[in-house]
Amino acid sequence: MHIMEGFLPVTHAIGWSIASAPFIALGLRSINKKISEHPEQRMLLGVAAAFTFVLSALKMPSVTGSSSHPTGTGLGAILFGPTALAPIGGVVLLFQALLLAHGGITTLGANIFSMAIVGPFAAVAIFRSATAVRLPFGMSVFLAASLADLMTYLTTAAQLALAFPDATGGFPASFAKFVGIFAITQIPLAICEGFLTLVVMNALVRFNARELQEMQVTPRSGVRA
Amino acid sequence: MLTEQSAYTNRWRWVSPTAKGIFTCSGLVAACAATSPRASLLVITLLMATAIFGAGIPITHYLRVGAPAMLFLGASCLSLLVTLNFGSGGSPLTLQSNPDELSRIVHICGRSCACLAALLLLTLTTPLSDIISLLRRCRVPDTLLDLMTLCYRTLFVLSAAIHETLTAQSARLGHSTVTQSLRSLGGLVANLTIQVWQRSQALHIAALARNNDGALRFLEYPFARSARHITLASGAGITLILLAVLIP
Repeated sequence: MHIMEGFLPVTHAIGWSIASAPFIALGLRSINKKISEHPEQRMLLGVAAAFTFVLSALKMPSVTGSSSHPTGTGLGAILFGPTALAPIGGVVLLFQALLLAHGGITTLGANIFSMAIVGPFAAVAIFRSATAVRLPFGMSVFLAASLADLMTYLTTAAQLALAFPDATGGFPASFAKFVGIFAITQIPLAICEGFLTLVVMNALVRFNARELQEMQVTPRSGVRA
Repeated sequence: MLTEQSAYTNRWRWVSPTAKGIFTCSGLVAACAATSPRASLLVITLLMATAIFGAGIPITHYLRVGAPAMLFLGASCLSLLVTLNFGSGGSPLTLQSNPDELSRIVHICGRSCACLAALLLLTLTTPLSDIISLLRRCRVPDTLLDLMTLCYRTLFVLSAAIHETLTAQSARLGHSTVTQSLRSLGGLVANLTIQVWQRSQALHIAALARNNDGALRFLEYPFARSARHITLASGAGITLILLAVLIP
């Protein structure tokens, strides 16, 4: 759920960019460390960014009859970790703005914060919590992907509500309005993305088990697909 | 991609990307500094005219690239028009009727359109590889630029792989129902994820074979008459900002 170019007031656009900057810096540090230990990961992360970008060209069927594209937030966060996903997500969002006029330069900071920071961190927190309480692997993946999507959408709604508070009800009324309006499409899409990520992870467990173990996504003992 | 087609074939292909970057930044500043819908409209008109008549972007290309964003903006502005009313009876959703609120929404819509026009001016006249070179000159970290370079150079390969797989799946009725479509899409994304590993490994081996020792370096095209273009762009940019600020 991108915020359109120029839609946020200037102060908010700058504020969200400043809020996102430390996460990007932390992500770059983490990527540099990864690359110095495993030089082959430079190519992997670059190709992964291209992969996330092309995912946005795919149409995902939705229960409400509308269609949207998978964000890949949950999948990317589980595979590469939330810190590395901040710069990767930043690059993807910049490319979407430049090549597809989807999102924008002025709203890049706000979009990075919701889609490349909150979403991935939520996905990994949910995935690890679900694994810790010994939920089945598939259920953990589904919850991580769909709830990360919902967290992204709630963050965008909060960003818009902060920028455009209701004249009478203020932030709470505005937040309720944006959450209510976007829920019609976003909740079914989050469920669809959860199922899609589950199908992808099942295929990866079957065909790329060794890579998943090396990336510490699955335990050394493996999981059943 | 229409944006890329225009970026490589427009009249300003060989104008310095720095000049185009300066003018785009000025356009964004002017869009944000415009104090009235009239000023926003002027900024939009000037930026559109620059792209269509100056850079020679076909108007159909311009409209086709901008249309999805405009539809999205329409939906966003509609969400601002609606207000929630709990406990007052009747429908909880009502349309704004306060003139101040309406003029604020028109102002937001104008600013957004003007920013979009500035963004389109850059993207429709400058290939992404030139924008990456421009960012390199602006001292953006090398790691981020490497990610961008690799992303740009592989996204078309992956995009072609997606289209071929989708065609093959559709030919086998893989997208005939919603459930079947979700399953096919899962298979496609899983297959692509595996390709990400395979292709990155192949790229790494190819880079090692060429003595790659870290950052990816590419030759940059030396743009002629850069200083003249930059001066012109700076002058035009300042004029645009002044017009946006001074027009009531």
